[in-house]
Amino acid sequence: MHTEGIAQKIYSTNKGSISFRSDAPLELITASSNELLGRVDIEKKIFAFIIKINSFAGFNSPLQREHFNENYLETTQFPTASFTGKIIEDIDFSIDGTYTIRAKGSLSIHGVVQERIIKSEVTVKKGLINIKSDFTVLLSDHNIAIPKVVHEKLASEIKVEVKADLTSP
Amino acid sequence: MNNALYRFVFITAAFFFFSEVNAQLAGYNSFKLEKDNRQVKINTLFKNNQGYLYAGTDNGLYKFDGIKYTRINFNNAEFNDTVTAIFQDRGNKMWIGFRSGRIANVINNKLQYFNPEEGTPQKKITSFLQDSEGNLWFSTQGEGVYCLKQKRLYLVNADDGLSDNNVSKIILADNDEILAGTDQGINICTFKNGKKTISVIGTQEGLPDYIVTEIIKAGKNAFWIGLQDKGFCLYDRSNNKITIPKAAEEWKPGQINAMLQAQDILWIATQNNGFYKYTPHTNSLSKVPESEVGNNINALLEDNQGNLWLSSAGIGLVRSPGESLKLIPIPGSPPFEHIHTILCDRNGNIWLTNKANELIKFSAKNGSSSEQKLHLNGITEKTDITSLFEDLYGNIWVGSMGKGIYIVNPKTFKYRVLTENNLFINSSILSINGKENTVFCSSLSGAMVVELLPENKDIFNSYRFTNYDNKSTGTNYIYSIFKDSRGRILFATDGKGLTMLRDDRFTYYNDLEKIKDNRIYSITEDRKGNIWFSTSNAGIYKFDGKAFVNFGINEGISNLNISVLKTDNAGNIIVVHKTGLDILDPETGNISYIGSGQGLSEINAQDIGAVTNDTAGNIMLSTVAGILTYSSQPNAVQRPVTLIESVQLFLKDINDTTWHVFSHDENNFTFNYTGLYYTDPEKVFYKYKLEGFDTNWVITNDRTKNFPKLGPGRYSFRIQSALNRNFNNADEATYSFIIKQAFYKTWWFILICLLAIASLLYLYIKNREKELKKIESLRQEKIQFQFEVLRNQINPHFLFNSFNTLISAIEDEPHQAVEYAEHLSAFFRNVVNQRDKDLITLNDEINHLYSYIFIQERRYGEWLMMDILVSEEQKKVFYVPPLSLQLLLENAIKHNAVSKEAPLHIRISVTEDNYLSIRNNKNAKSGKEKGAGMGLQNIISRYKLLTDKPVTVINDRQYFIVLLPLLN
Repeated sequence: MHTEGIAQKIYSTNKGSISFRSDAPLELITASSNELLGRVDIEKKIFAFIIKINSFAGFNSPLQREHFNENYLETTQFPTASFTGKIIEDIDFSIDGTYTIRAKGSLSIHGVVQERIIKSEVTVKKGLINIKSDFTVLLSDHNIAIPKVVHEKLASEIKVEVKADLTSP
Repeated sequence: MNNALYRFVFITAAFFFFSEVNAQLAGYNSFKLEKDNRQVKINTLFKNNQGYLYAGTDNGLYKFDGIKYTRINFNNAEFNDTVTAIFQDRGNKMWIGFRSGRIANVINNKLQYFNPEEGTPQKKITSFLQDSEGNLWFSTQGEGVYCLKQKRLYLVNADDGLSDNNVSKIILADNDEILAGTDQGINICTFKNGKKTISVIGTQEGLPDYIVTEIIKAGKNAFWIGLQDKGFCLYDRSNNKITIPKAAEEWKPGQINAMLQAQDILWIATQNNGFYKYTPHTNSLSKVPESEVGNNINALLEDNQGNLWLSSAGIGLVRSPGESLKLIPIPGSPPFEHIHTILCDRNGNIWLTNKANELIKFSAKNGSSSEQKLHLNGITEKTDITSLFEDLYGNIWVGSMGKGIYIVNPKTFKYRVLTENNLFINSSILSINGKENTVFCSSLSGAMVVELLPENKDIFNSYRFTNYDNKSTGTNYIYSIFKDSRGRILFATDGKGLTMLRDDRFTYYNDLEKIKDNRIYSITEDRKGNIWFSTSNAGIYKFDGKAFVNFGINEGISNLNISVLKTDNAGNIIVVHKTGLDILDPETGNISYIGSGQGLSEINAQDIGAVTNDTAGNIMLSTVAGILTYSSQPNAVQRPVTLIESVQLFLKDINDTTWHVFSHDENNFTFNYTGLYYTDPEKVFYKYKLEGFDTNWVITNDRTKNFPKLGPGRYSFRIQSALNRNFNNADEATYSFIIKQAFYKTWWFILICLLAIASLLYLYIKNREKELKKIESLRQEKIQFQFEVLRNQINPHFLFNSFNTLISAIEDEPHQAVEYAEHLSAFFRNVVNQRDKDLITLNDEINHLYSYIFIQERRYGEWLMMDILVSEEQKKVFYVPPLSLQLLLENAIKHNAVSKEAPLHIRISVTEDNYLSIRNNKNAKSGKEKGAGMGLQNIISRYKLLTDKPVTVINDRQYFIVLLPLLN
């Protein structure tokens, strides 16, 4: 099937979108980035996604962004977050259709790696793979400390949404 | 010595051979689960914390109470899923795994899918477990093993080093190690602090087969491993050693589907070859005949009463009594209805008699069984053999009806008739028993106690005996004799009841105590030294040395037609009757029952000798179906567990079972309950009482009870279940609830009502008081007004002026004087007539006014000008207090000069907003007249009582205006 060369097996993007949302009692924080890099090897069923933390924009205020980068995620020390691993389901991505898949891999945020299973909806259409996924990140899982003062302003669970269109070159 | 040792070895081998190879399971009962007349396939069996059985099937989840299946539906009725795994965690939450890979919980008796954020597996769920930290693990056929840790799902699969993603079973070992049986050996997994470790036990480590199909716990950190092709083995996790039992070395039956360890027995279910029983300590393996359970068995379970359950592809759910009842097949044996007596000798040989009353010794040797027959001279088809006894030296005593006692050497089969005792020659023997070197023979002509001497090893030496007849025992009819642990000899007699011989003295208990029956058949002793005996129709008695306690139907004995009492291997008292056995725990008095449900029927209960103890102390009895052994399992005498399955309100399940407060019209309750007793569920009786409603307990065998139209109050539904109507130690379940008063009957509502009524009453009284005051003040005002008016009219000035005018008129114009006097008279009449009325029409008032005006015009001539601008219509519609206009006119005339220089102009008109305006121009007099202001004030007061509209007085520079509200 995939005899046309290595290029056919690897799908990638460098402008996937990722957004997060912290819905705390006192404050709603959202931010997003369109600089998600992603790569999926549809034959080996492995994948890697990576995002520069400082590319997140759209905070309520510049101060909030500063806190996000300096206090919580310590961007200078841990500049990226990533998710790499393998797809659990055995799905033939060469056939057009919409699939619900689960990806098992290592989620690295704030320098802490957690094993995660993330459910995604994958739509394959004419050589384009669209991935849609949402999942939650527990701040405590990744050693992101919330000062008591802002504890009403920052949810302990952050909702993350990812959308990416991957193409093979 | 050598010989003896050899014999011992032979004996044990023979015995085990006997009990292991030839023993069958008795009493299989199948419980078909069908839907649309097709058998529903059961995939897995589960017992929850209460002991309730669940079956996971191709048609979803069912629970089974021993009689009927109840399907547990999804909360969405359209869902259906094939159940492949069932589990209950330590928080009592049930987890159901499906072939689809999905997982559900049972919430309020309904299945509800579990939807973790991570999604659910796509491959069949095979098993669950919960580790010591409370994490839930489950295995899948194709995706490895998942771990649900604090709401987050983790996966251990081939990527982590799992040898294969097909996992058939996981089980918890010590230190939170998870043993996973896969298609590539056993994997030992741990998942601690986010770190996974996996080690593999495969064929290289000694596992006979790489496909593991089943793992169960065998002991402390040791596990039985069931394999696809190579049988089973024992894996000891503590030393990492695999042991292959000899019986499994050349395994032929094929794939093992399920295993179960019950006490010392390992039960093995196979895919194609039925059901096996393995006894580890003897290393013996035997197969249960296929016809009873089918070939393809996929699940095994032991219930809380020790019954063994299996699900068979062909037959459905099958219950067997497990190890408790075993049929001993005796090939070529006589029809069992002719067996009056059986004996299991110390070598495990079984002695019995056939129709011709020949003595048969049945023994098993080297894998084959053999029987020896002995015809006893003098015994014919008509001479029943009633009793068999093996004495201290192994010689067999045979008691007959009418031919006395024979003694047989079991090896040589030489025998003789006991002739040395005249009393027993040709006597009818009822029983022979004994203890140590004593033999007791009971007959219709008395009793004989034989003391065995060493020379009695040889049956041809004579015996020393003592006879007891009616002079000592009270009667010649003696059924049996029993020597208890204190050396007392007890006689079970016909006619004299229980007689005891102690220190050469006889005690006749039936003469001394209230024992309801003088016919006693059988005596035994429990482990505490209490004596138990059975009577012909009054049940059984317990005698603790001081008092006699009777056990009858009410105490739980299921049938009073009792033949024999025996004490079994577990110390329970076994009560034998034709239809079954009552198993009585002498410690608690609890009684359970086995009977036809376990395959026990048509017990030979006619003869005392038809029940005996085997070498292991089990009860051996003869039935029409054959000879059976019964051995009490640890939970044999377990009472039913009472459960309230559901509570319904107007026949709809009450969902939240913790909130038990209902409103006054929620008053129709139905309770569905079960006494879980899988051994014989039909035998369970229920006793209920609704505290707050019933005054007495009600005994029923219905499993549902409805209470319609309960009044408000506090209730507690108490339900007990027991076998045989003996509720002494019954398990009880309760459901307490409150039906609230209707709000209109609650004290606070009544109080509020009373308060409301009281305040209404208060307001009414207040109002009425006010009204009365108003009326009173109106009256006062009126009187005041009348007084004012009268005072004005009788004012000397007015009279003086009027009379002066009259005098001048009489002089100048006599006919006008008459008219004047008439008006004056009419004026006073008006005043007098109107004074009592509250209101008069404007028309009347204005008419009266004309008389006054006439009088005044005579005095002031044209300098007093009156304009009355009121339409006829208005005059009829509106009302005013009487004399009010007149008073205002008087005021105007009184307070103003009326002269040529200053004429007084009074205008009466109706304003747009229905006020009567009385306006005059102001020619103020220099001196103020007395009583000034009284009249106007009086009018204002009167109006206040009549209407809310105020009387307005406008006093500007030019005019004095009074606006009177017009009343309809």
